[in-house]
Amino acid sequence: MKDKVLIISLIGLIAVIGNWIGYQVSPIEALPGIIIIIAITLIGWGITAILPFKSPSVVWISLVALLITSPIFPGNSWLAEATAKLNFMALATPILAYAGLSLGKDIESFKRLSWRIVVISLVVYTGTFFFAALFAEIVFRIQGRF
Amino acid sequence: MKSSVRDWKLHLIVLLLVIVGEWIGARKINLGFGVLALFPMLYVLVLGGIISWPSFRWLKEEQMKKAATILGIAFLLFVAKLGTMLGPSLLKIFEAGWSLAFQEIGHFIGTIILGLPIALWLGMGRESIGATFSIDREPNLAIISEKYGADSPEGRGALGVYVCGTLFGAIYLALLAGFLGSMGILHPISLAMGAGVGSGSMMAAASGALAVVFPEHEQDIAVFAGAANLLTTILGTYICIFFSLPITVRLYNRLAPIIGKQPVAAKEEETNA
Repeated sequence: MKDKVLIISLIGLIAVIGNWIGYQVSPIEALPGIIIIIAITLIGWGITAILPFKSPSVVWISLVALLITSPIFPGNSWLAEATAKLNFMALATPILAYAGLSLGKDIESFKRLSWRIVVISLVVYTGTFFFAALFAEIVFRIQGRF
Repeated sequence: MKSSVRDWKLHLIVLLLVIVGEWIGARKINLGFGVLALFPMLYVLVLGGIISWPSFRWLKEEQMKKAATILGIAFLLFVAKLGTMLGPSLLKIFEAGWSLAFQEIGHFIGTIILGLPIALWLGMGRESIGATFSIDREPNLAIISEKYGADSPEGRGALGVYVCGTLFGAIYLALLAGFLGSMGILHPISLAMGAGVGSGSMMAAASGALAVVFPEHEQDIAVFAGAANLLTTILGTYICIFFSLPITVRLYNRLAPIIGKQPVAAKEEETNA
């Protein structure tokens, strides 16, 4: 647990530095936001741990974050404003850096695959993206939204 | 777990990658028939991949595994951030209720209607079931190996798409999103919902590309991609068990004799007997 907290703090710190370089938000300005985001993650973990049934922590973290920034929660606008100082792309960049550094371990299993599965993978990803976007668009058009 | 924190080399590389990536910043390259959206997330992913390339021996296998563990934890921060963007926009999300519901259907059948016929046409056998019933992230992999076993043809198909997705899913979706976005046929919000494919890194990369193509919609793109991704994550396992997998199996049995190649049909008889 202590190590998990250390890890997310470290990644938060790297994200704040990235946010500073990429989006010109000073670390001091972004600090409250990242502390709130780390706190939300910890609370979500806590909920996942104390619940009597097994559930993905993603769900609880999302719900806590959603709840405290929604209009019904006291102080929501301050919380939303503070976390907005941290660009969502700046937070995703360090995560994808770790993703990149883990890729090497999958090269061997990739070499054993046939070219067909590579083609199918691309088709499958295209399908899920394109059809979801298309269905959303159709409903929006029927509703006359755009 | 303890050792993954103490691996300062790993964290230092990430810090350097982030500094370099953010310093280069976002770039849009017009190809004439579409736009290539490049941005920090993609640079660090590619650079990280090069650094971990096995033949360079810059990182040990153990360190790559640590990076994967950290990735899982780090992703939760991103989830928290997206949640804080969803909260203030709840009303907007509810207003898009029907679109959000229908795009979710698109996520689940999109893999099958496009993937399964092509898989059969390429001559794949029962592998095509595992490969196309979902986008094959961890929960889907668990479903397949529970039902057929990890070593079955279905399991191999699922694992294959899983590995490909890990290696270039994020890059591919970013290119696809930037490309489809620049065509101007679909609205940025519809595309954003499409980006919520149910994998964190892929969603981040795809919505990042859309934000580069449509900077004026950046906030909405993150909100709707986040909402769609949350839906896909929460409903995903159940939809795959009760809907996607049975449908894929049925369609496979229907289509395999028609568009499947000869050797596949022979193998099919073998498994049935």
